[in-house]
Amino acid sequence: MQADRKLLYDLTPELTRTSTRWYITFFIFFAFFAFGIYALILQIDKGHIVTGMRDNVVWGFYIVNFIFFMGLSYSGALISGVLHLFHTAWRKPVIRLAELITVISLVIGPFFIFFCIGRLDRLYFLFIYPRIQSPITWDVIAISTDLVGCFIYLYLSFVEDFAILRDFDELNVAPWKKKLYRILSLGYSGTPRQRKLLSNARTIMSAMIIAIAIIVYSVLAWIFGVTLQPGWHSTIFGPYFVIAAVFSGTGLLIILMWIFRKIYHLEEYITKRHFVNVGVLLTIIAAFYGYFTFSDYLTKWYGSIKMDSILIDKLFNQYYSLFIFANYIGILLPGIIIAIPKFRTIPNITIAAIIALLALWVNRYIIVIPTLETPFLPVQDPRPDWIKYTPTWVEWALTMAGVSIFAMLFMLVSKIAPVISISEMQGKDQSEIMK
Amino acid sequence: MSEYLRKILYLISFTAVGVTISSAQDRPSISPYFQLQYFKNTKDQAYLQTTLTYSLNRIELPLPGMVISFYTGEKRDLPLGTVMTDEDGIAKLPLDGKVRLPFGADGQWTFNSVFDGNDTIDQVAADISVVNMDLEITLSKVDSIKKIELKASSQINGKKVPVIGEVVIIYVTRMFSLLPVGEITFDDNGTGTIDFPSDLPGDENGNITILAKIEENPTYGNIEKRVTERWGLPTSYTVPETHRALWTKTPPMWMIITLSILLSGVWGHYIFAIISLILIRTDAKRKKVNDEYKIKV
Repeated sequence: MQADRKLLYDLTPELTRTSTRWYITFFIFFAFFAFGIYALILQIDKGHIVTGMRDNVVWGFYIVNFIFFMGLSYSGALISGVLHLFHTAWRKPVIRLAELITVISLVIGPFFIFFCIGRLDRLYFLFIYPRIQSPITWDVIAISTDLVGCFIYLYLSFVEDFAILRDFDELNVAPWKKKLYRILSLGYSGTPRQRKLLSNARTIMSAMIIAIAIIVYSVLAWIFGVTLQPGWHSTIFGPYFVIAAVFSGTGLLIILMWIFRKIYHLEEYITKRHFVNVGVLLTIIAAFYGYFTFSDYLTKWYGSIKMDSILIDKLFNQYYSLFIFANYIGILLPGIIIAIPKFRTIPNITIAAIIALLALWVNRYIIVIPTLETPFLPVQDPRPDWIKYTPTWVEWALTMAGVSIFAMLFMLVSKIAPVISISEMQGKDQSEIMK
Repeated sequence: MSEYLRKILYLISFTAVGVTISSAQDRPSISPYFQLQYFKNTKDQAYLQTTLTYSLNRIELPLPGMVISFYTGEKRDLPLGTVMTDEDGIAKLPLDGKVRLPFGADGQWTFNSVFDGNDTIDQVAADISVVNMDLEITLSKVDSIKKIELKASSQINGKKVPVIGEVVIIYVTRMFSLLPVGEITFDDNGTGTIDFPSDLPGDENGNITILAKIEENPTYGNIEKRVTERWGLPTSYTVPETHRALWTKTPPMWMIITLSILLSGVWGHYIFAIISLILIRTDAKRKKVNDEYKIKV
């Protein structure tokens, strides 16, 4: 299968050579990852006492990270699914990144649940004694279904590229990579029948992946929403979580666009226009996300239910800085940066995305932790660590390990297939794509 | 030189000993809580119970493995035995009647328990005086009204005298705790009666356990009598297996239907995508065979 040679020459060099800088960066991430493994071994050996989680605050960083990574995954699926389904021309250079965000986050996210479970040896009970009345069972079913769907969707988008790479004679890669391309391309040669089959499958899966992403992240939100805990028992938690997820995913997409554009020299393909387009998307989602946040807290505050009032009071006092950062700065600042044309530069949009991403993580934190620190019944012996959650270095280490493995997997995948889809880019009106 | 070295060694040794002694003296000792109680159960078996605990960060923690000595008599005249505290810090000494307990001036028994202490825990002792009470419980039905009668007497200077004016609480056992159903105050004859409610649920046969308890009484200690009778309403707690709810084994039907539709819809599309991939592969193989055939021809 032949492709535009310029595209091949521009997008494949990273598959054939690996710079020293790449190795150093990978090693740094690996060091963080290895430190996380050490922390995990310590946690398995000593038990959860090495974390900040106690009887009262039973969820900490791990659940926050789980929700965060799952949110990134679903947002990647939503962004790539929507862009694909509506045939948005400018999507082509960025859609692969969104697809990779989906799968890599989805692989990492559930591990944080494993870190959180006290009796991992009983994990299989979830599968042999499932109760479909339980939101936890819904979550297990939903995540496993989503994982399979995302892998299929990602693979469908890779088939054409694998075929192109297989047939690119000048591609000087290791024999195992050539063999991998031959196997994974399934003999695709772009016959009309093959094109039709692949196109139909991709269209259906892109629609399916949008629906699954919404359902699955709603299920995750319902784990909180169906409980009667202050701050969690909310009817809008499902859509609120979905919007928040897309917000964080869009932010991450901009950051990855900036990183890969910079290190793989893709300035010609990922242009300022792409940053502005995704940035505008981020601003629109920020507006929705801000609206949901305001609506959620307003109804809780106005309702004046005792425990909700205590929680909101806690958020505006004890968690003041985090609350302001997550729900004011994290929403307004990216919007202002992108909405004002003068500020719309690539570095500024990337900074806005970083702020949005961090704010979303903090938002997850102030959803999970303060509620658990607000028990319905007074605790008899209020030792500080029973009520107040403070993450330990073990939790920080495993969080950093999660971020590191995310980066490492991205780096490894970028050595097997281009981060910009060749098949999407070729044969189209390049000027339209670059706009 | 060797003399000089010896002096240095002596100096180090004395300093080390001094530091050790002073640190041992500085170490705060534990002042334990110590409680001695007298119990008499439904089989009229009496025993002494000592609880040894201490407070750490305002949590009461037991002191297990400590030897407690029990005595009787106002001046610890007669040793009754020694018992080691269990993991809850409790030491129980049965009063099995082998030892003849000396009565005090008012016909009461005096018991003492002592913990001698050790390097880290202070010595503690406690004593109590109790009068032996015999409690009898009788259940009867008068014109279908269920009645509980209690009779209590004590031995004072060898004479059996009625217990007057003391209050006994009547309970029934429930799943998690005791439910009080009334109280009896002994009259001049040492007796008292109450009506028992007729609407209390029992087990599947209507059995219900009734308790008469005197707790922490300064004169008589802790006395208990219990009896099981078919005075409750027979109750069946079995939930029909066919009942569908969030909290039963079988989920609501709408949940099964919704989940089945969702999952079959989603997995159906997955299967479609996978079949498409298989067809792509089949098409490629067919094309390869055709190309080879064309080359041969």
